[in-house]
Amino acid sequence: MNRFLRWLGIAVAIFIAAPLVIVVPMSFSNARSLQFPPPGYWLGYYQAYFTDWSWLRPTWNSILIASATTMLTMVLVVPATFALVRHRFRGKGIADLMMLMPLAVPHIVMAVGYYSYFGSFGIVHTHLGVILAHTCLSVPIAFLVLSANLKGFDRTLERAALSLGASPTRTFIHITLPILRPGLIISALFAFIQSFDETVVAIFISGRDAETLPRKMFDSIRQEADPVIAVISTLLFAAVILGVTVPLVVAHIRNKQARLAAA
Amino acid sequence: MSHLKLSGISKSYGQFNALEAVDLDIAKGEFVTFLGPSGSGKTTTLMIIAGFESATSGQVEIENKSLFGLAPYQRNIGIVFQNYGLFPHKTAAQNVYFPLQMRGVKKAEGLRKAEEMLELVGLKGFGHRHPKELSGGQQQRVALARALVFEPSLLLLDEPLGALDKNLREQMQIEIKRIQRALGVTTIFVTHDQSEAMSMSDRIVVFEKGRIQQVATPLELYHRPQTRFVASFIGESNLIDVKITDAAKREARNDAIGAIQYAPSNRPPTGSEATLMIRPENIKLSRNPVEGRHNVRMKVETIINYGDNALVVGKVGEQMMRVRVLGADVVIIKEGEECCISWLHDSVYLIAK
Repeated sequence: MNRFLRWLGIAVAIFIAAPLVIVVPMSFSNARSLQFPPPGYWLGYYQAYFTDWSWLRPTWNSILIASATTMLTMVLVVPATFALVRHRFRGKGIADLMMLMPLAVPHIVMAVGYYSYFGSFGIVHTHLGVILAHTCLSVPIAFLVLSANLKGFDRTLERAALSLGASPTRTFIHITLPILRPGLIISALFAFIQSFDETVVAIFISGRDAETLPRKMFDSIRQEADPVIAVISTLLFAAVILGVTVPLVVAHIRNKQARLAAA
Repeated sequence: MSHLKLSGISKSYGQFNALEAVDLDIAKGEFVTFLGPSGSGKTTTLMIIAGFESATSGQVEIENKSLFGLAPYQRNIGIVFQNYGLFPHKTAAQNVYFPLQMRGVKKAEGLRKAEEMLELVGLKGFGHRHPKELSGGQQQRVALARALVFEPSLLLLDEPLGALDKNLREQMQIEIKRIQRALGVTTIFVTHDQSEAMSMSDRIVVFEKGRIQQVATPLELYHRPQTRFVASFIGESNLIDVKITDAAKREARNDAIGAIQYAPSNRPPTGSEATLMIRPENIKLSRNPVEGRHNVRMKVETIINYGDNALVVGKVGEQMMRVRVLGADVVIIKEGEECCISWLHDSVYLIAK
């Protein structure tokens, strides 16, 4: 039984990871369209990606929109989280619910809503429109991550700082903020990824000017199955792996140094 | 002249009175303990002094200056919290430097002072460690150094030894006393542990139900408790409810024990109800009555042996009695037997109702 479960676990892991393994070789393929296994290997599609403005422009758009979304999200979420986690006030329950609402509503419903609503302001097909819509979707995610962090924050530390002569502002800058930094970074990272990854709303409202990378990939795979898609997927995959491993390695090295220093 | 003065401090939450008219004077350099069960108001009083809670009414003064309207960070009071409250992202030295940094002390000078203070609390060479790399006792010392480095006008310790194991606790009691004496800082120590209070304090303030029951030196508190609560909370005691039968002759009567004489006291009138206290170590256990002492017969129910001493619990009629005897003396008696217990009149202390 135990053995069976182990094999089942491995099989499921392989099944889930398979697309990643298939996409990477396909990005080096010399086939005319997506094909597995690749007939031969070259770097032509990497060259195509890095020289073709019809791919670079959506990439730039995505980075711009995700960055702006992240900033706007954090500007809204940080004060909101402090208010909702630390204070009790009338309508707190409703405020909590409103923060999380976009998680529950299907993206397609939101997308249709934005399409008609933003139309009346004339911001459909603009960067601003996509940034606003993505912020709305990022807020609940960032809020969830940050509020979990803030709930675990020991408020004795703030009291200690106050008793030691730090004003509330300096307490926030010297104590609260540095201790919450990992939570803030992860919260912002989630906001960024959610925007960078978002497709449905982008298809509806990004148009040609604000076209994002996922939208461009979607259009491309429908029309010509351009292997550049595999290149982008591989690059994103590599970015994620770097993003995960580099901090781990850095933390490991720092720990080792600290232990050496302490010894 | 008093250094810290509390006058008429009250605190209520809606209908509930957490503190009622607390008055207290503490002299400069004194080590005062707030002792009481949880919910007795001792921590609330501490938080009002620190400025984290506001009193419903009353005054807190240090050196004749009211603290009213001053935020905690303007009060210059050092606090050691129960879980220390060390900043996890700062090293021990940076933690101790923090209050100096907030007071505009230059980094080089501040860190030097921090190291000096760490040396005073016995942590020389530990400055570069982060709190999580220190043991509980070491964290405690860092918290103490941090609360003292800026020369506060008052040091508040909020059950700081609660998280430590017994041996470490005793060690820290001695350490805290040593450091407090060395710096001469006026200190308030909050605890619910009476032995801690007895061993450390110049004076003890006993709290119960939001009121001060008694303010006295440890020995006075032990030998002359003013209320039944203080008598039962400080040390072990036999409390015997009596009616005064003759105040002039110092005679009282308990239904189970009969007539009892008590030590000279402030003479509540004949006929009033009172409580007599006899400490278990002042009672002697013997097979036969002892001359010159008040003797009664007791049926032994339980003997708890601690090695060097033993606690014998038994009944005189319906009255439960506890007797503390030296370890060697306990062999004369077995559970279930009858024996004689005796005491001197002078060790019977009267507490007025």
